[in-house]
Amino acid sequence: MSGDELRRALPPVGETELTRDLWPAMLCRMEERRVRLTWLDGALAAVAMVWLAVFPETIGVLLYQL
Amino acid sequence: MRQNHPYLRAYMAGITVPTLFLLVVVTGFTMLHGVAAPWERIIMFPMAVVPNLWGVWNMLYCRWRWAPIGVHGAILPLLLVPAGFGLARALEVPWMSVTGAAIALPVAVVVYYLAWKYLVGFFNEVLGVA
Repeated sequence: MSGDELRRALPPVGETELTRDLWPAMLCRMEERRVRLTWLDGALAAVAMVWLAVFPETIGVLLYQL
Repeated sequence: MRQNHPYLRAYMAGITVPTLFLLVVVTGFTMLHGVAAPWERIIMFPMAVVPNLWGVWNMLYCRWRWAPIGVHGAILPLLLVPAGFGLARALEVPWMSVTGAAIALPVAVVVYYLAWKYLVGFFNEVLGVA
């Protein structure tokens, strides 16, 4: 296929300029995705760490399940 | 693309976390038991069973969505711990005991809850099945 045939097969795109700034929307999206640990989840993680510190022999058993 | 094969994408999102974490598992086992441990028996469950069950479990979540994803994930250890214990005993993995499995179960539930809520939930969002 020559260049002319290719150009004829692909019609020109009409409007190529953006109608609005996409960067603020991107910033909002990034802000939405930021992970926030709730206090309850933090407490659960702390309890799990204390549990493993008290029963270190269970670390191997836990790793076996992950 | 996002309209196609949602269960396949759910499976892939599910297996990502335990597959990546396998490096930590192997490192932890090596530190705990050394390189002379019976790896062919130890690694079978974490390498083959766990990731596949995570994938299937995430497919089930995407099918039913009956509860928050953290709660759904927290139920998985109730199946995995007994299954892992049974397989470990069958393969004569040295350190596995009923007491150890019972003590590890609550913390496994917590770890799974957090992992599913924050990690699998993130991958589900990335792959468009959240």
